[in-house]
Amino acid sequence: MGDFIKHPFVDMPDRNPEQVIPNDSLMFTSEEKTQIQTWISRYPTADGAVMRGLWLAQEKFGFLPPEVIKLVAEEIGIPYANAYGVATFYTQYFKEKKGKHVLDICTCFSCQLCGGYDMLHYVEEKLGVHSGETTEDGMFTIQEAECLGACGSAPMLQITNGVFVHNLNKDKIDALLDALREGNVPAFTSVTLPQDEDDLGGNRRTDVTSVESYIVPPVSETLS
Amino acid sequence: MEAKKTKAGDWRSYQRVLLPPVKDLHKLDVYENNEGYKALREVLTTAKWDPTSVTNEVKKSGLKGRGGAGFPTGLKWSFMPPVDPNIPRFLCCNGDESEPGTFKDRQLMEYNPHLVFEGMLIASYAMSIKTGYLYIRGEFADWITLMEEELEKAYAKGYVGKNIMGSDFSCDIVIHKGAGAYICGEESSLMSSLEGQRAYPRVKPPFPAQKGVWGYPTTINNVETLACAPLIINKGGEWFSKIGAPSHPGPVLYGISGHVNRPGVFEYPTGMLITDLIDEVAGGMRGGKKLKALIPGGSSTPILRADMIEGVTMDADSLRDAGSMMGTSGMLIMDEDVDIVSWLRRITHFYHHETCGQCTPCREGTGWLENIVTRLDEGNGQLRDLDILLDLCTQMEGRTVCALADAAAWPVRYTIDRFRSEFEAKCSTDSVPGGGVLETA
Repeated sequence: MGDFIKHPFVDMPDRNPEQVIPNDSLMFTSEEKTQIQTWISRYPTADGAVMRGLWLAQEKFGFLPPEVIKLVAEEIGIPYANAYGVATFYTQYFKEKKGKHVLDICTCFSCQLCGGYDMLHYVEEKLGVHSGETTEDGMFTIQEAECLGACGSAPMLQITNGVFVHNLNKDKIDALLDALREGNVPAFTSVTLPQDEDDLGGNRRTDVTSVESYIVPPVSETLS
Repeated sequence: MEAKKTKAGDWRSYQRVLLPPVKDLHKLDVYENNEGYKALREVLTTAKWDPTSVTNEVKKSGLKGRGGAGFPTGLKWSFMPPVDPNIPRFLCCNGDESEPGTFKDRQLMEYNPHLVFEGMLIASYAMSIKTGYLYIRGEFADWITLMEEELEKAYAKGYVGKNIMGSDFSCDIVIHKGAGAYICGEESSLMSSLEGQRAYPRVKPPFPAQKGVWGYPTTINNVETLACAPLIINKGGEWFSKIGAPSHPGPVLYGISGHVNRPGVFEYPTGMLITDLIDEVAGGMRGGKKLKALIPGGSSTPILRADMIEGVTMDADSLRDAGSMMGTSGMLIMDEDVDIVSWLRRITHFYHHETCGQCTPCREGTGWLENIVTRLDEGNGQLRDLDILLDLCTQMEGRTVCALADAAAWPVRYTIDRFRSEFEAKCSTDSVPGGGVLETA
């Protein structure tokens, strides 16, 4: 029986991986601690705040190695295993170090039909790395994303769990990558409702300056 | 044959109510000037309304859930057990919106956030709830920020919090940020996620109304469903029940994506003819191409061929007769150039990626669906693979804790059923070495 299973199906994670974040910076400031306490107060048990806590930690440290998850668990007062379980369940929590900008390019079915894969492959070619990889300069990570909920303005991408970029085409990607290299992350863009374009002349939120319409880019013309 | 007939009445002159054409409606003062929080004030301060009468009015309206299942909302509210002051009760507003093809709630939260808050408060009043959680998917980080800003303003004005408008009704609203898991849109999984657990769905019964978040009575409604509540109070359940299809009434946000000239979110009554939605509302097919197929309400609703939609309207009954479902009314329109097999491959990939892994038929089944459809798409499949796929679907449907396995199996079953010739055309005629035994991924 001993030889029956020759290879483990999944590599077991390293139980004691080398610590990435040094001990002297592995802590929350008092403001962050207050913020976490506020979140805890909004739920009947402290567990409810774990997702917010992990978000806070990810924004602070960039990703969630075990020592950071442990820090969050201790701050909230829940077992490390629970926090680890939550962190590994959700795709938006980064368990390893990513590039400065993570490009989540949606290829789920609406985007697929509107050229999502063309966009993904264009970015891959332009940056010289595949989906799931990070460029050598540590600037960009490309990821193929599942539906991001902006099907009308497909194809689209999301920058590091934040801003959506709608109605992608080749020129837009060129401009976006240049801007990101210079550290300019695009502003929140409001996509106007077609009925508003008839009734209100487009944008209904006057406080948003970046506005786009829903359009379907002709796939064949987006790539030369 | 009877001529095609819309159930939406004179929809061309329809006046929008969920997203009325008002500039800056997201701002609290603009919202207040447009009957904002009027329904809540009436409910809290006039003797006409008590929790039971609010629920009855919603029942009278015929409102059905807009999140996919289409369960009657008023009935769901009445499932809550009698009030016990020692037992807390919770409301969850489901803004997870992860179903591929669905993007309506995002626009509602962006353009009319206070309508969502007001709807949550009215629902809380109707069920004597003191805390409402608004669960928004983590990808909508910008929209969460926008909603939080508006919520703070609503708190400052006393619309949310302690003793709202001087009444003895207090209710808090908490915005919970998800982190990217499709399964959290399933109600029991959403509850697990709220509690800070891995978002595994739970066995029902006990239903959320008996044992929900933290084991307490809970009701879960979609964002768009709750946004209808203030409208029902303001204009009456009877007014609501006369909009659109009588058996499935009300305004609906149709999210139209894919190969149409004018995609986007449109508000119209239920019961719109699918052909009207494509040809007139969405400006017709892109490039004058022919319609091949469409998905009426998100990825898990069965696909409809172009020849199946004549006279079909967007409401539960008509779509059921046509062989599909209303779902989330996120419509994907596909033109004649679409390769159905590779399109299905992408869907199976989605479900394989998003299965939570709790139940074996789903965890393993979604992987096998993807493997086999991929093999077919690459031209290495055999005819018998189609039967293996259908058998696999039978093994998955109804054998898991939640409906994700069904949602993954239906697209495969119905796409093969309705486009079998395209699958057969892609099958390999060569004999496959090793008797066609598949390799695991």
